[in-house]
Amino acid sequence: MLFRVDPASPQPLGDQIAASVRGAIAEGTVTPGERLPSARSLADSLGVNLHTVLRGYQRLREEGLIELRRGRGAVVVDDAGARRRAALMQQVRELVRQARELGLTEEEVVGLVRRGLA
Amino acid sequence: MNRVRYRLAALAVLPFLLALAVDLTLYALLRDRLPDPLASHFTANGSSDGTQSRGSTVLFACVLHLGLGALWAVLMAAGQHGVRRLRWLNAAGFATAGFVGHLLAATLLANADATDPARVRLPLWQLAAGVGVAALAAALGRLLPVPSPVPAAMSPAGPPSGGAPHLDLAEGELAGWMRRAPSRVLLGCGAVLLVAGSVLLYVGGWSSAVGALFGAVVCLAFSCPYVTVDRRGLTARPTVLPWPRIRIPLSDVTRAVSRDIKVAAEYGGWGYRMRPGRSGLMLRSGEAIVIRRTDGREFAVTVDDAGTAAALLNALVLRERASG
Repeated sequence: MLFRVDPASPQPLGDQIAASVRGAIAEGTVTPGERLPSARSLADSLGVNLHTVLRGYQRLREEGLIELRRGRGAVVVDDAGARRRAALMQQVRELVRQARELGLTEEEVVGLVRRGLA
Repeated sequence: MNRVRYRLAALAVLPFLLALAVDLTLYALLRDRLPDPLASHFTANGSSDGTQSRGSTVLFACVLHLGLGALWAVLMAAGQHGVRRLRWLNAAGFATAGFVGHLLAATLLANADATDPARVRLPLWQLAAGVGVAALAAALGRLLPVPSPVPAAMSPAGPPSGGAPHLDLAEGELAGWMRRAPSRVLLGCGAVLLVAGSVLLYVGGWSSAVGALFGAVVCLAFSCPYVTVDRRGLTARPTVLPWPRIRIPLSDVTRAVSRDIKVAAEYGGWGYRMRPGRSGLMLRSGEAIVIRRTDGREFAVTVDDAGTAAALLNALVLRERASG
């Protein structure tokens, strides 16, 4: 899979790594159950800090897209819904980005989503 | 298409089944006249230095012939060979079956009516006789018609269609591409060798099994390389080990393309292959990153999503050139 991070972007590098993986899962380039590159080798490839990669992977784990297991590394959750979930997470990110552009506060965004759910 | 493959596989197995039938028939005929254990291994001067029980001799013959038969079936049926090449492969199969079959038969005959296996002799000229049998068998195999494969319209090392793919990278943007390239052929070979090695280990001890087990380790270690394209160039290494590693640095790359490769037809087999003017890591037929190197030679790795990898490689190369 392809990883791209731009140090010139305001988005933290770890988030950009997470976005690369999210995009690959949503597109189907990476399939459920597939193993991601080890954090060490990815950090080595991109020339970024190991902890930056780990932060990105941690974020994906919080989103329920990957599992981090000792010895096995990072694995995309083996679940048929992973792809759509990744696509949904992309939309959430996009929603947040646009809301920030509009200058909305965190409460206002959550309020908007809550109203959308009602 | 598949029927042709089945017929090719059947043809490939045929000489080994025939040789096995001859060896087993001979064994059945001589059974009461054979010592147990019987002499099974001989030194260069013809005297025996190893024995095997009668039962394991039969098992050894079966494993050897069936294993070789399976190997030839894969060789002939799995690849995209031309008719000429198939004829030669088939002849080589017959020769191998003849040679192995003859040696096993000669061993049985040498053991007939022996009381002490240590005094059984198998002179070195039996090897020459084996070569003779192999030559006869090869001639026979060469005469047999091979099922003609579907003519494959392919142009080895032909020019790629369209221009080289390119990815737009922002200045200072970091990018890396990595992917596993599993090979079912190498995995299968490794598994077969592992089973054969285990059987040999059980039957004949370390000395007879070491070759097969070594082959199994090599096949399995290389059955799933890890391919990386990043700021250092293209790297391929076994997924589980950091070494052995193949690396083509960015400064060595003229351009990269993605092209379909027919492994058996273009590179003659799986694994790390060298051909005049090109080399490659061949894991399966299909999509491959093909790199034109600055010295004019070509390097290829068969891996999925090769188009993305080639595009990234071109972008990285371009950027390196631009930065001097």
